[in-house]
Amino acid sequence: MTTLKVENLHVSVAGKEILKGLDLIVNTGEIHAIMGPNGTGKSTLSQTIMGHPAYQVTQGNIYIDGQNLAEMSVDARARAGLFLAMQYPSEIQGVTNTEFMRAAINARRPEDDQISVMSFIEKLDEKREFLAMTEEMAERYLNEGFSGGEKKRNEILQMMMIQPQIAILDEIDSGLDIDALKVVSRGVNSMRSNEFGALMITHYQRLLDYIVPDFVHVMMDGKIVKTGDANLAKKLEAEGYAGLRDELGLDVHLTDEETNSYFVED
Amino acid sequence: MVDNIAIASLPLPEFAKVRYSGWQLDELTPATENTKTTYFLKNTISGIEVSGQSTTYQHLSENMIAQGVIVMGMKQAQMVYGPLVNKLIGSVISKRADRLSAQNYEQFNTGIFVYIPDQVKFDDVLHLTLNHLAMSGQDFVARIFVCVGAHAKVTILQEMHTIGSEKTKASVVIEVLAKVGAQVTYANIDSLGEQTTAFINREVLVKDHATVDWQNAEFNDGNVVMRVASQLNGEGATSHANVIGLTIKKQTQGLVTTVLNKGRHTVGHIFQRGVILNRSTLVFNGIGQIIKGAKGSDAQQESRVLMLSRRARGDANPLLLIDENDVTAGHAASVGRVDDEQMYYLMSRGISERVARKLVIRGFMGEVLMKMPTRAAQQKVMSEIERKLQYEDD
Ligand SMILES: Nc1ncnc2c1ncn2[C@@H]1O[C@H](COP(=O)(O)OP(=O)(O)OP(=O)(O)O)[C@@H](O)[C@H]1O
Ligand SMILES: [Mg+2]
Repeated sequence: MTTLKVENLHVSVAGKEILKGLDLIVNTGEIHAIMGPNGTGKSTLSQTIMGHPAYQVTQGNIYIDGQNLAEMSVDARARAGLFLAMQYPSEIQGVTNTEFMRAAINARRPEDDQISVMSFIEKLDEKREFLAMTEEMAERYLNEGFSGGEKKRNEILQMMMIQPQIAILDEIDSGLDIDALKVVSRGVNSMRSNEFGALMITHYQRLLDYIVPDFVHVMMDGKIVKTGDANLAKKLEAEGYAGLRDELGLDVHLTDEETNSYFVED
Repeated sequence: MVDNIAIASLPLPEFAKVRYSGWQLDELTPATENTKTTYFLKNTISGIEVSGQSTTYQHLSENMIAQGVIVMGMKQAQMVYGPLVNKLIGSVISKRADRLSAQNYEQFNTGIFVYIPDQVKFDDVLHLTLNHLAMSGQDFVARIFVCVGAHAKVTILQEMHTIGSEKTKASVVIEVLAKVGAQVTYANIDSLGEQTTAFINREVLVKDHATVDWQNAEFNDGNVVMRVASQLNGEGATSHANVIGLTIKKQTQGLVTTVLNKGRHTVGHIFQRGVILNRSTLVFNGIGQIIKGAKGSDAQQESRVLMLSRRARGDANPLLLIDENDVTAGHAASVGRVDDEQMYYLMSRGISERVARKLVIRGFMGEVLMKMPTRAAQQKVMSEIERKLQYEDD
């Protein structure tokens, strides 16, 4: 079993505190969902776990199986079992998708036991077809000219090829059409096992109909304010964040509050 | 002998956006160094190795000898085949093309001569290895002439190296004549040293229905201006000029690739890919020119450079000059970057920073890399990439 443990995490970006004491434990075998208003720090959490240089941990710690991530480079974190499907994946000229994924797999294997071209291609073809991606896309430069939906699908393809222990999926559903959402969900569900855990960030209950989470966390103002099961997401969908905030008696300003009440009055 | 005043009045060759007049490439003292050492060729590889003024390796396959192929050091060729050699030299790149080429014509004292008779075909690659001995501090002035007869079919791999580390200059002019129906693949791996400032000029004259493809890898470590040109003179002449370049440290490589469509139904494609590291500069100029009367011709070019450092400087300048209506032509150029965000993305999949960079570079140059004529040449380009990457953190 692998465990990702976030302890009293405080993170600043460009001098501004975004995460304000966040605790979270994700074990393999569990699917977690995080929901929360825009700008609340969900992507900040995922980027900080992966090690993006722009995010400064000012207090607290993150561990993977007892190893402190603070001492690990981005690539070492990935090799320790972490994966981040990014909200905005980069486009990279010069590196084909295929070559990239092969390098990623080989980075996890000893120098004298690199994956053979044949078994790599077999695996790639299998996963690619599972996600209804064309062969041509695998040969293109990494994400270059990919549509929003294609990029998301490609993130999931990479996850399926690399088979990480703990995957963080940052808004993997945004920008996907209905069919694509089903395909991508199928991909994530195919990974479900005792050796795989996921932390899914989403705004929409719909994704959680396809990938049913074991835990749902609500994040507001840089903290997890409530944790529950799949029903919590349904309740949120019905009542919105303002309802939950008032229920919990939190003093948090929500960006879109005025607009929402305006629509209600209308 | 050297008509200094007349040469000085010629213009320097044009390398747009490259400031190189301060390199003083027009002041050369030709070196007279000799050696007995063969540095690269061995094991009955077909070809020749010339270092300084010495020819240390010379081997042709039975098949080549039987078909009358001539491969020898330039000085020896001038002695043995004087009239032929002297008639050919200057026939592709004119004696007075520009100040540096003219000076090379007057001053060269080493080089290689290759003569492939009509109809000759061979499958093994002919290696031409030219080494600048930079031990005395004098300059390298070399000339290569390759004459490929009608309907002959050959593959050539030329390599250039610097041996020694004295600060010197090099001037190398390479002329190729491809007669009617000849098929030539001419690959070049240029890896002159950091202390060698060089002018390299290579040009081919392509006759009717002949095809000449250049595969050029510019992996020099010093300041270099390099021109590669194809004159498509005959009906249906074809040339693909592929160039890759990698620059490091503070060096500048300024390149011009030119295709001139003169004959009807000629096809000229330029394809350039470059990667720039550290504080270095890489400039690609692509010139496609179709003259009036070259009906049914095609001129295409694509040049892309990728910068892997904030302090790098890169340029890709396409130029199409078309004086005929009945043609097809097109160009694409770009200057891109791999930035911190992209490196982060690659590394987030477990790939080390070093491997990530190598991936980007190798991938970007892949198309030309794969066209190198031998496994050994492909391997050589890859190891040159690795070698250059070692300087990355300097
Ligand atoms: N690199 C950055 N530079 C400056 N500010 C940043 C940076 N990254 C995040 N922020 C700020 O931190 C706050 C939290 O952003 P974050 O992206 O974590 O929110 P989020 O919860 O993922 O929102 P969304 O639901 O819109 O994706 C925002 O105010 C954002 O502007
Ligand atoms: Mg976000």
